[in-house]
Amino acid sequence: KADAKALLDDRGYSGALIRGQNPALLFEKAVRDRVTESYYWKEQCFGLNAATLCDRAAELTFIGGTYGDMGKPTPFLCLAFKLLQLVPEKEVILEYLNFEDDDEMDDGEEENVLRNDIDQTRRGEFKYLRALAAFYIRLAWEPVEIYRTLEPLLGDFRKIKRRTRQGFTLSYMDQFIDDLLTKDRVCATALWKMQSRTLLEDLDLLEPRESPLGDELDEIDRD
Amino acid sequence: MPPPKRMTANPSRPARYRPGKATAADSNSSSEDEGEDSNAEQEQETSAPAPSASSFPKTVTSNLKNVDINARKAAVREEAARKAQGTAINEDEFETEEESGAGSGGDRSESEEEEGYSEEEESSSEDDVATRRKLIRPVFIKKGARTAVAAPVKTDEERWAEEESRKKEKANELVEAQLEKNALAKAAGKKFWDDEDIVEDDVDDTDGLDPEAERAAWKLRELTRVKRDRDALIAAEKEREEIERRRNLTKDERDAEDKEYLDNQQAERDGKGKMGFMQKYFHKGAYFTEDLQDAGLDKRDIMGGHYADDVANRDTLPEYMQIRDMTKLGKKGRTRYKDMKSEDTGRFADYGGGRGRGRGGGGGDRFGGDERFRPDWDCGGRGDGPSGANASLLGERKRHAPDERGGEKRARVDYG
Repeated sequence: KADAKALLDDRGYSGALIRGQNPALLFEKAVRDRVTESYYWKEQCFGLNAATLCDRAAELTFIGGTYGDMGKPTPFLCLAFKLLQLVPEKEVILEYLNFEDDDEMDDGEEENVLRNDIDQTRRGEFKYLRALAAFYIRLAWEPVEIYRTLEPLLGDFRKIKRRTRQGFTLSYMDQFIDDLLTKDRVCATALWKMQSRTLLEDLDLLEPRESPLGDELDEIDRD
Repeated sequence: MPPPKRMTANPSRPARYRPGKATAADSNSSSEDEGEDSNAEQEQETSAPAPSASSFPKTVTSNLKNVDINARKAAVREEAARKAQGTAINEDEFETEEESGAGSGGDRSESEEEEGYSEEEESSSEDDVATRRKLIRPVFIKKGARTAVAAPVKTDEERWAEEESRKKEKANELVEAQLEKNALAKAAGKKFWDDEDIVEDDVDDTDGLDPEAERAAWKLRELTRVKRDRDALIAAEKEREEIERRRNLTKDERDAEDKEYLDNQQAERDGKGKMGFMQKYFHKGAYFTEDLQDAGLDKRDIMGGHYADDVANRDTLPEYMQIRDMTKLGKKGRTRYKDMKSEDTGRFADYGGGRGRGRGGGGGDRFGGDERFRPDWDCGGRGDGPSGANASLLGERKRHAPDERGGEKRARVDYG
């Protein structure tokens, strides 16, 4: 059955669990209803699997939660809900995320400048796919993995369009990732409370963060 | 042909000349001379039912339509026939038609006058027909020069079918073009479900416009993030140190520090102005404390503020105006409540002067003039003694004879 009845009806849910509960419950009821009643969901998100979802995500042009008076959901949000329904495997999500695996760290060295520019134009199409994958990761995975996977993306400074209630604003990919890691509420979803990085460091599960600006920071400190 | 009889008694008159309108003469004469019985019959039919009012518009117009089509078909047919013959003959026909048509057309025009409603329509349609009929008015053709008239009928119908099929093809093409456009648009990624709310987005998210500036902006953001993390670390560190320090102090020292802190708080509170008498109470609100702190407004003294109309001494005001909240002055919703003490109606703790008067004045029999409130004094100073029911001693109970009493007092069990 390709419809979302199994997902939305909580009583008989027998699919994959995220942190012990129905993945759809990560979105609030109001947002869930908005998503399920939107045209985008009904037309475009019916019967998607991981591959076709990739195609849809490649057509995204902005991120956002709900907008307008009526709380209309963005396609980004609908696809995120679809991902929650599908609960894809780790490798698939990593593929979405690291569509171009080469250069997530921007060194800023002269030799690499040209290469980075070329690569940016190449991966420019799929930054929203990457943002979608990052959003899903923040919702579905464990804290240690979240930090480990999302922190390299803090070096990606591409521009993204963000749809707010009133209109569009400009944001950046690293800004979005930072919001995912620190804020409570992003894109009409209350992100579940994660342990802070310091706590995980104290528990020795993570290492202290190495900023991509590592060398320059040291220089500043020396000054 | 005698003028057709009308139902009225008025004499029939020739048709008036109306500019632009085909003279009925030409069209009528041509339709007559065509030799097609159907047309003539129809025309007669149109003239015959004219007087009946109920069916007047419908029949006339329906017949009118028929006349039109057939007339046009005939016109086309005749035109083709004429063209086949050649142009010289046509010119001759023109002349003859006009000349001969004038006479016989007069009759027809009279009949048409009766059909006032659709007269103009008919005449206009027949105008077109008339212009064509000028070309095709039948004139005697020698046997050798005659061409078959039967064939054009079919070709005309075929032509009609062809035209219709052409129209259908055009319509199909249009529809196909529209569908192709839709498909292209879909492929290009436009979202139709979003068509209603197309918001102007002048936000440009193309990368690589200015790589250096973008990189610099990113560095700035990264530095702020690092700074934020470091500050959080430092604050946590400080807190830990503070806890350690307090643990190492003795209890007395801790108490001394606490007292100091509380005194500071109190001093802050006292430093704020005192509330005036019956001043309206304002609270700064519990919700937006962070916003207040950001704006630097959290240390305000709200109750100590003075305003222009503040009155120093409230008693100088009339009683009507001595209220806590001056905004309610003059409004119907204002309460008359002043304060608890003034609203109190009891005499609590106010009886200090009453007791002495009662005891001294009530000597002897009288107590304030009311017999009922006399106390029962047991000193026997008065000769009255007990009064009322206590006046006489109780005597012994009278005992009756047992048989009589037994009869009265025995248990009565007959409840019947």
